[in-house]
Amino acid sequence: MGESIIRTYGLWKRYEVQGHDGAAIRGVDLDIQRGQIVVLFGKSGSGKTTYLNLIAGLDMPTKGRIEIDGQDLAVLGEAGRTLLRRNKLGFVFQFFNLLPTLTALENVYLALELTGVADAKPALETLALVDLRGKENRYPHELSGGEQQRVAIARALVKKPSIILADEPTGNLDSATGTQILALLVETCRAAGTTLIMVSHALNTCEYADRILRMTDGRIVEVSTCEALAH
Amino acid sequence: MKSVIRSFLRYIVRRRGLSALQLLGIAVGVTAAVGMMLASRSALKSIEGAVDFLRGGATHTLERPTGPLEEKVLAGLLTDPAVRTVAPVIDRQVRIEGGERIRLLGLDPFLDREIRSIADRIGESESGDVRRKIFTSFLFDPGAVLVDAGTAKRLGLSAGSIFKTSQGPLRVVYVFPNPTGEPLIVADIGHAQELFGMRGAIDRVDMVIIDDDPFRARWVRGFKIESNHQKAETLAALLGAFELNLQVLSLFALFVGVFLIYNTAMFAVVSRRRDAGILLAIGASRRQIAAAFLVEVLLLGAAGGALGGVLGFLLSGFLVKVVGNAISSLYFFLKPAALPWSFLNLAGGIFLGAAASLVGCLPSLLELGRVQPVRVLQGRTASRSAPTKTKNIALLGVLCLVVAGILFGLASRHVYVGFAGVFAFLIGASLFTGLAIVLSVPVLKPLFSVAMGLSGKIAVGNIRENLGRTSVAVAAFMIALSLSIGLGAMIDSFRQSVVWWMNSQLRGDLYISTKGDVNVPEDFYEELGAIQGIGGIDIFRNVPITFRGKPASITSIDASVLQRYDRFVWFEGGGENWEPVKRGSVIVSESFSRRFGVKKGDRISLEGADGPSDLAVTGVFYDYSTEHGVIMMDRSTYLKLFRDRTINSLGIFIDVTNPNRRQIIDEVKHRALVRGLPVATREEFHKRILDIFDGTFAVTRSMRVLAVIVAFFGIAGALMTLFVERRKEFGIYRALGFSTGDMVRMTIAESVAMGFISFATSTLVGTAFALILIKVINLQSFNWTVFYHFTPQPYLVTALTALAASLAAAAYPVWSVFRKYPAMQIREE
Repeated sequence: MGESIIRTYGLWKRYEVQGHDGAAIRGVDLDIQRGQIVVLFGKSGSGKTTYLNLIAGLDMPTKGRIEIDGQDLAVLGEAGRTLLRRNKLGFVFQFFNLLPTLTALENVYLALELTGVADAKPALETLALVDLRGKENRYPHELSGGEQQRVAIARALVKKPSIILADEPTGNLDSATGTQILALLVETCRAAGTTLIMVSHALNTCEYADRILRMTDGRIVEVSTCEALAH
Repeated sequence: MKSVIRSFLRYIVRRRGLSALQLLGIAVGVTAAVGMMLASRSALKSIEGAVDFLRGGATHTLERPTGPLEEKVLAGLLTDPAVRTVAPVIDRQVRIEGGERIRLLGLDPFLDREIRSIADRIGESESGDVRRKIFTSFLFDPGAVLVDAGTAKRLGLSAGSIFKTSQGPLRVVYVFPNPTGEPLIVADIGHAQELFGMRGAIDRVDMVIIDDDPFRARWVRGFKIESNHQKAETLAALLGAFELNLQVLSLFALFVGVFLIYNTAMFAVVSRRRDAGILLAIGASRRQIAAAFLVEVLLLGAAGGALGGVLGFLLSGFLVKVVGNAISSLYFFLKPAALPWSFLNLAGGIFLGAAASLVGCLPSLLELGRVQPVRVLQGRTASRSAPTKTKNIALLGVLCLVVAGILFGLASRHVYVGFAGVFAFLIGASLFTGLAIVLSVPVLKPLFSVAMGLSGKIAVGNIRENLGRTSVAVAAFMIALSLSIGLGAMIDSFRQSVVWWMNSQLRGDLYISTKGDVNVPEDFYEELGAIQGIGGIDIFRNVPITFRGKPASITSIDASVLQRYDRFVWFEGGGENWEPVKRGSVIVSESFSRRFGVKKGDRISLEGADGPSDLAVTGVFYDYSTEHGVIMMDRSTYLKLFRDRTINSLGIFIDVTNPNRRQIIDEVKHRALVRGLPVATREEFHKRILDIFDGTFAVTRSMRVLAVIVAFFGIAGALMTLFVERRKEFGIYRALGFSTGDMVRMTIAESVAMGFISFATSTLVGTAFALILIKVINLQSFNWTVFYHFTPQPYLVTALTALAASLAAAAYPVWSVFRKYPAMQIREE
């Protein structure tokens, strides 16, 4: 059993929708180890993204507790959670979410700069790592979808975070590009010992996972194999 | 942090069309404020400069309460132990060819040396003999004058030139430098007395007093003594309300500018919200995001402000002439020169632009500070919930209107309270625009659908759907249009009130010498009196005085004549007031009554030639001649009190039933022309007054235009932003088969519909604004009642302005549609 990096205890998230309560997360207890590649499957609306947002401290649970690297998110406060995201978490989104006014290099360097590093060299190296050498000065709209997602991965990796949270990272890409991106993301995380939690509903993602989770109606269950997932 | 700021700042370049519109909008708002402030300051500085230059080293002035001072008084002053220096002065105006009025000072070149440097400078640039010759000529040649360098250059005059004036030809003996820029002619006092028919009399004495109190004690009876400090206070009081109104007018334009900045900032937040969500997700703090946004807004504000500072300086060159003309028409002769360029204009513009931007962006900054990354990254936007906020915002509007009402109730305490009420009212009214849009759309949809088909219908729906974005643009435009309607309706009502006043009080058939610079010889009055058939001659004399430390004026008239021929409208009392006036009582104008709290039945004390006199006030009449107030008395009372026989003008009344009416009028005209006295028929006189009135409001009209220009940039910016923000939507329209023409129609329909809603709302707000200006501000600032008169013109002009501005505002977005729409696709990024 490895060292825990993410722990959630009895996690609930309720939303008030048109006058009646709806729970997106229903009492999730989970323990994720450092360096694990975890894939969280589930249908649209099952609560996957909500769970990811809770782990990132972008959203607060209605009930329950979240510990990242031993730190209780509720105790950290807004400033502490910002520092946590800045230093320990990397994000990869389905729609890339690059800043349109910054070049590829600037988008990657931005994450580094927020941590206080004033050297752009690691950003250049990370862009080279994701095979974007020569495209550093292009703006997002000058890049293809796959290239934009590589920039997003580089942005998440450059600060060497403990955890990368990826929300449908291939959801907006064609299957060939999606596979490439997936492989790249997993390989780089494995190489760096970074914990990767990836939300997906594409079954082929399962092949890259150390651990497979399925979310249904706000509850998480462990799935032993990819075949079991298919059923 | 640099990257965060950079990511925000690049929007300025990335959306340069929009940035340019926003920058110009801010620039025009600041231009109006800087232009008006500079013009106002130029006028004040010019007044101070002229007063300082003309006052020289004098510490006090002595004059009669009204009219000229006997020359023999000088002997007494010269022997007074408290007086160090004495310099007699004649201070009048002459009219040169072309109608321009120029101040003429009559000075004693020997006595004046101790007070002013003008006499010392006569011929200073010449050698000894020539200098002596010039001085001798100035002293002994009738019509010899000195002319200031600016006027000489402008009129093409030099030493030896002869030029015509209303007082006869004058010959230039020397051109002297005048640092104040005010046109000035200087004559020897003896010649000036001859020119103005004032033998043995002067206008005032400038003095250096070493012991104030004992001097005042000795000269208290029959004289008006003013120290420099008192003179400055009198001047400030004289111009106070006028200046304040100018400043507030410029603030109105800046107010629209702040709306525009709010508009701009709000649009910026819409596009930055997603970026802010991303930044928060990757670890940026809210403070860093707010700072980056602030830098962007302030930079745009400062750049717009800098441009506004420069344009405001250029505008002040025009406004200073308009302000100078208005001051000259209403108060005293002034020809202010525009202030020279200073980098402070630039700094002031930057400060105003940045400060207005800070105020304008605060709500957006707060909104950005509350951005929930989870929501924005899911693609949910705040504007979707905007319609639900409409009711709450309208309720806030009601609260603002209540506050405005309370402030109007307290306006009698100070005019600033009234102005605060106006701004509360305008803010309150602007908060109803969301509701106005919600209520208008169901009405406009079928109309635009019929006129422009599906594009028109969708366009109107878009305004409702993007309420959060469109309501602020509509609010800014509505406020500008309301200012236009309100100021226009106020001016028209005021004009109608003045016409009503003229028709009731200025009913003479002919008016002789009403231009202020030519007095009527008393023997001419007697000469006219001998003409058979003249029903009555009103002898008019008006003199400025200081009453209870504030400026006011005394007017003397022939009460019998006015009783018979005029139709005075009384604020207190009625036609029965004339009988006591004939016996020595006075009537006062409404503005005098309000300013000094004097009512019918009260008594007032006036300082006459023989000391103070107590006079009964027998009535209060409507008057628009001066906001400082008029005390009107019969000429017999005036002569008894002041012994001033000067006649400023005559009003000739002839019975309408007189069969020789035409011939009498021609006869009077002929005799006046022989005497060189200007004559005006009633219509001409009324027209001249209305011309002065219109000239006075030239500044107001300029501000109306600027406010509409500011709002134009607002609505153009709003349309452009909608276009930029809805690219994805445009891609869907294209996929559905909407042609470029359809999109152009949709863009124009959106603009026109927004213009229409703005105009429709502004008719209500503008009318209410006019009533507030009339019933609260005018009453407080000028102490007179203006009657509201409905005229369609301000509404029609504003409707056309709204239509033209809406169409013009659509031009750039339409061009963008032509350029970009054919290539638009459905895409997420």
